Amino acid sequence: MPETQTYSEEELVLRLRNQDQAAFSYLYDNYAAALNGVIYRMIEDTQLAEDVLQEAFIKIWNNFKQYDDSKGRLFTWMVNITRNLTIDTLRSKGYKKQQKIFRDENSVSGLKDSASGVEKFDTMGLRKQVDSLKPDQKVIIDLAYFSGYTQEEISKEMGIPLGTVKTRMRSAIIELKKMLQ
Amino acid sequence: MEIKDIISSGLLELHATGIASEAESRQVLAWASQHPEVKQELNVIERAMEAYLMSHAIEPAPELKQLVLKKLGSPAGLVTNNGIAPVVKMNSRWKYVAAASIILLLGSAALNMSYFGKMQKAETAYEQKQQELLAANEQLQGVNEDMGVVRNKYSQPVSLDGLPAAPEAAAKIFWMKNTGEVYIDASNLPEAPAGMQYQVWGIVDGKPVDGGMIITTKNEDKFRIHKMKSFGNLKVQAFAVTLETTGGNPTPKGDMYVMGKM
Repeated sequence: MPETQTYSEEELVLRLRNQDQAAFSYLYDNYAAALNGVIYRMIEDTQLAEDVLQEAFIKIWNNFKQYDDSKGRLFTWMVNITRNLTIDTLRSKGYKKQQKIFRDENSVSGLKDSASGVEKFDTMGLRKQVDSLKPDQKVIIDLAYFSGYTQEEISKEMGIPLGTVKTRMRSAIIELKKMLQ
Repeated sequence: MEIKDIISSGLLELHATGIASEAESRQVLAWASQHPEVKQELNVIERAMEAYLMSHAIEPAPELKQLVLKKLGSPAGLVTNNGIAPVVKMNSRWKYVAAASIILLLGSAALNMSYFGKMQKAETAYEQKQQELLAANEQLQGVNEDMGVVRNKYSQPVSLDGLPAAPEAAAKIFWMKNTGEVYIDASNLPEAPAGMQYQVWGIVDGKPVDGGMIITTKNEDKFRIHKMKSFGNLKVQAFAVTLETTGGNPTPKGDMYVMGKM
């Protein structure tokens, strides 16, 4: 899947810079579910997650000129915008971070299973692969993406030194890359 | 710093997952712009993370897309490019509905024509049958009349046998003893040639007395029992049939075909 996106991404970026709404429609179709997945796991409220998702896409559209493709992939930029918006929402709404969810792997998978909404059909195979990551590798990725934690907070949460956060994150992603090859 | 050290530092991963500090991210981007290998590695990591998040995708409510597009201030219709806008879906659905109704209409018209043809055929057949029924009724009535003659308790049958002119011919007279009325069954007489008719005679006191013409203009009439002239109180000794010119003769001129004594 990443292979097919590389080619279309350059064209997509070019068209989005020219405020091409058809390109935006394509962007939404391809990434809305992934971004919604991130938001939902941080917020755990379907309605609120979709509110944030709307806001995120409007921000992506309005601020598209700020995207610099030399600094990274479009999706990474979109995830960062989305996650920052979600963190802002959580703070403004006075949400308590759902820390206990990340304390053990069982509840992490429990969260996934209870997630409402229909998962994209073509992601099912990928999901199977990803689920075969070692629990401590999965937890560190989930914490990085879905908790809004800083490295220091992750280190504290997992009870590992700051340097280990880096190495464990690296080994998790190496494992993930192997699976996706 | 060596490229492999940069790559193994774990900072690229932290940056890609968005948990690197601002200083770390600046550092990673600086390395990436200096070293294509680092940039390449960062790209691979980002793709891996992208795949990870794709695998955790949750589809939002379908109507959300339209809400987002509306909020962009997009004029209606601009969204139709990839055919995902509900309006387009409706369109194609209505197209099918329209196509289906045209097909139905054509089918119905074809059926109508077919039924109209069938109805006309049925009407013709019905008229034909009705005529057949009328004819059959008529025939039945004739047969009933014939049977009435045969069954009449006063009716006396007289067999007329073939003569040398027509050895195979035969006829049957029914004579009503009470009234002197005479009937003849002429069905075993040969077809009369054009311009000729059979004439019935009663032999009274050795002389032939005209009994009337057997009218067989219509073929089926030949098989009917024909009522002839009444002989009243005359004492008839025998009956005969001759072939005469149309209209008959006062005295027999043609060949005698059949004869029978009382």
